[in-house]
Amino acid sequence: MEFGVYIHIPFCQQKCFYCDFPSFAGRERFIDDYLLALKEEIHKTKSNMGYGQDEKLQPKTLYIGGGTPTVLAEEQLEKLFQLIHEEISLDFCEEYTIEVNPGTVNENKLKLLKNAGITRLSIGVQSLDDKYLQAIGRIHNAQEAVDTVQLAQLLGLNNISIDLMYGLPGQTMAVLQETLRQALKLKVQHISIYGLQLEEGTAFAKMEAIGKLQLPADEITEAMYDYITSELPQQGYERYEISNFAQKGFYSRHNMSYWQDKMYLGFGSGAHSYWQGKRLQNLADIPSYIKAVPENNWQELEEQVSEKEHMEEMCFLGLRTAEGINKKQFSQTFGRNLEEIYGDVIIRLTEKGLLKDKEDSCSLTLLGMRYGNQVFSEFLL
Amino acid sequence: MDNKKIRNFSIIAHIDHGKSTIADRLIEYTGTLSQREMSAQVLDNMDLERERGITIKAQTVRLDYRGKDGEMYCLNLIDTPGHVDFTYEVSRSLAACEGALLIVDAAQGVEAQTLANVYMALEHDLEIIPVINKIDLPSADPDRVKQEIEDVIGLDASEAILASAKTGIGIEEILDAIVERIPAPGGTKEESLQALIFDSYFDAYKGAIAHIRVMDGMIKKGSKLKMMATGKTFEATEIGCFRPAPMELAELGPGSVGFVAGSLKQVADVRVGVTVTSAEKPAAEPLPGYRGVTPMVYCGLYPVDSADYDNLKDALEKLQLNDAALVFEPETSIALGFGYRCGFLGLLHMDVIQERLEREYNLKLITTAPSVIYHVYKTDGEMVKVDNPSDLPDPTTIQHIEEPYVKATVIVPNDFVGAVMDISQNKRGEFKSMDYLDVNRVMIVYHIPLSEIIYDYFDKLKSSTRGYASLDYELADYQQAKLVKLDILLNGEPVDALSTIVHVDNAASRGRQLAAKLKEIIPQQMFEIPIQAAIGNKIIARENVRAMRKDVLAKCYGGDISRKRKLLEKQKEGKKRMKAVGRVEVPQEAFMAILQID
Repeated sequence: MEFGVYIHIPFCQQKCFYCDFPSFAGRERFIDDYLLALKEEIHKTKSNMGYGQDEKLQPKTLYIGGGTPTVLAEEQLEKLFQLIHEEISLDFCEEYTIEVNPGTVNENKLKLLKNAGITRLSIGVQSLDDKYLQAIGRIHNAQEAVDTVQLAQLLGLNNISIDLMYGLPGQTMAVLQETLRQALKLKVQHISIYGLQLEEGTAFAKMEAIGKLQLPADEITEAMYDYITSELPQQGYERYEISNFAQKGFYSRHNMSYWQDKMYLGFGSGAHSYWQGKRLQNLADIPSYIKAVPENNWQELEEQVSEKEHMEEMCFLGLRTAEGINKKQFSQTFGRNLEEIYGDVIIRLTEKGLLKDKEDSCSLTLLGMRYGNQVFSEFLL
Repeated sequence: MDNKKIRNFSIIAHIDHGKSTIADRLIEYTGTLSQREMSAQVLDNMDLERERGITIKAQTVRLDYRGKDGEMYCLNLIDTPGHVDFTYEVSRSLAACEGALLIVDAAQGVEAQTLANVYMALEHDLEIIPVINKIDLPSADPDRVKQEIEDVIGLDASEAILASAKTGIGIEEILDAIVERIPAPGGTKEESLQALIFDSYFDAYKGAIAHIRVMDGMIKKGSKLKMMATGKTFEATEIGCFRPAPMELAELGPGSVGFVAGSLKQVADVRVGVTVTSAEKPAAEPLPGYRGVTPMVYCGLYPVDSADYDNLKDALEKLQLNDAALVFEPETSIALGFGYRCGFLGLLHMDVIQERLEREYNLKLITTAPSVIYHVYKTDGEMVKVDNPSDLPDPTTIQHIEEPYVKATVIVPNDFVGAVMDISQNKRGEFKSMDYLDVNRVMIVYHIPLSEIIYDYFDKLKSSTRGYASLDYELADYQQAKLVKLDILLNGEPVDALSTIVHVDNAASRGRQLAAKLKEIIPQQMFEIPIQAAIGNKIIARENVRAMRKDVLAKCYGGDISRKRKLLEKQKEGKKRMKAVGRVEVPQEAFMAILQID
């Protein structure tokens, strides 16, 4: 049985203005207790699944995200890797990723990561212009981001992804182009690039509400999208998902599992799992989570995904990737062909030039990627 | 029951002057319903009525009351709607009564709608008991209001009852006045049966049920009855009265108000205004009926999902069972497909029907802009009636067009006379008269096109008089006017459902405003959408809806799925409320955009 494991570290030095993830600043005093709870959750989950006392989880991919995992001090990071080591085996693990904030690492920490068996870094760069880094609440400057990437490369960490953002307040096309030019010079293996979205409850949403947020005009962000989606493939980064670009062989395997309807277990506060047809979600509040784990009620939500929802999700998640919906996987899962359920939709959207319908897959065209939501919503039954 | 002990009355009042609350107090005081059973505004039992604070359907309720003379009386209250659109319901109810309470707000005074209804009651020779309500308000001025009632309506207000439905003041006095001042109904048991149907409704179990007022003769359970208009005979399987829930009785004698149910499958069988008589011993003559109801405003109703066409038809038929004023017939629009052209008494009526269709029958509808009935005189001498702008004949074949005018009566405090005149003048109104009701209230009469009234006249009036203006109107005549058809083109294609008929002087500005409004309403799509307004072949305005060049969620990882699904569901839901017109997705409200422009 193949599955991935996600481990959430909800601590941050400062909350970025656009971030609506279950992450918190100023909660560092809970870190030690949190790590204990995390170990206990993993252990209890294993027993619930019928694992023996010393049996370890054997995920295909392991991903430590946040929050900011690297905000943990060295000893705390060591504790984290120790508990992972005790509960999870890396024997079958093909990819072991950790998210890194350039403002929180030094050579020692990076070495520690490498020694713990980390194979892939996902570094939150966002922009390579200090003015915009500041404007979105990042704690590091451009130079620190560049240094972090180069240092990691020097240490032999040679599967590096960076996150970038566009459509930032005040950002012009020229600024974005310069950031992209600088980023390409870093020769990383993977780039994720996201248009800024205003999410409810974020600092940006509050600023927007009082008219204090000056976002670029639609025309500008659209032009940025055009630039990015044509420039990165030209530079050898294949667009394997709507916002993800990679050099050959460097797709994020862990993230692919989200889009390919694979199972995953999420541990830690606010983490989500998708396991045997159910979606589960842990309590997001750190102290509540710490308190709830010993009491065996750390889950906030557990829902069975109905067959209808399952079909919809396999489609709208699969369509995010270049390879699209795997028709064989669909018919094996549901005992019915994709066409039986979505025949009309596929014909209509293919005619509009939004879908490519092939023998064994159905995927978005370039136009379809641009109007992804219109396609996804058509796949809701 | 001895008809000397019966009193039949209705209540006339302007909206918000407290008609429903007074009715509630009467029901409560007479013990017809216990405190526990009372819910505010018992007679307004439609959700819509409670929400909007209006009465749409007439209701009846029987109250038993011991008069000052120690005798028990049966008081039949026939509740009536207060809005101008439902005037016909009022007239029907009044024909079943001998008297009426005239409720006037002690602070607001006489309003336009009250006036219209009082005149109608006077035409029916009803005994009118003025009641000045809300006298507990600090701003109450009962003396001024009495004076108004005398001056404006010409009624003796010296015996007007001062009341407060809220606190219960005057309720007993009202009941005593009903007993003492309203005449008992005439008629005898021995005469042949003559009963007037003044309302009807459809009950899923009992079939069509007629609300009747017996004038002469008796109805007993099991009586063989006959509709005088159609000759259709039926057996009275159930008779009774309303308290306010239906209560079965063995018989209804002369003067009584109640209901009769029989083997009546359709409400068409129990047409309002028809006389019911005995099948065995029929009356020689029917009672005088009612003036037929004629719709004044038409619009198209189309299902957003064309698969709902038959459901829409069923729903309209069901609503028509209880609403004789609703008319409809199938029509086809190039843009909207198959739907129905529906006729209404006015905008509120249209609104209410549309809302009931959506709410009670779960239909998603597109309503086209309302239109009046135009009389189009063609060069060949033929006159055609046009209630749908897209049916307007080729302009070269038109000799001239006439449009309906109304006599609009507006009552406002004199500070707002200028505002009323400005608005009315802008709406092509012709000033008729102005009279002072008292030192600071004025009644202004305009002769004005109905099409202007249904646009936004009343809204404008309300907003520029701080809500003080009250309006009543009645159809006056047809007058020639220079009218043209204003077409809208989306993406270069004319959209028939967006055409309107406008006065030539307003055409250019309406065209510009409508195009601008549509630009706001039509969402960005994958391509640019030109919006053009045209008269004949001449484009008079143009706007562009910019193409949306991307629409995609940047991120969707494991923790985002449920949230992103909700966003997609919302997007899909929004799309459901749109109609594809050619390549363009048009939201429902676009078809009513003309009503939203200044």
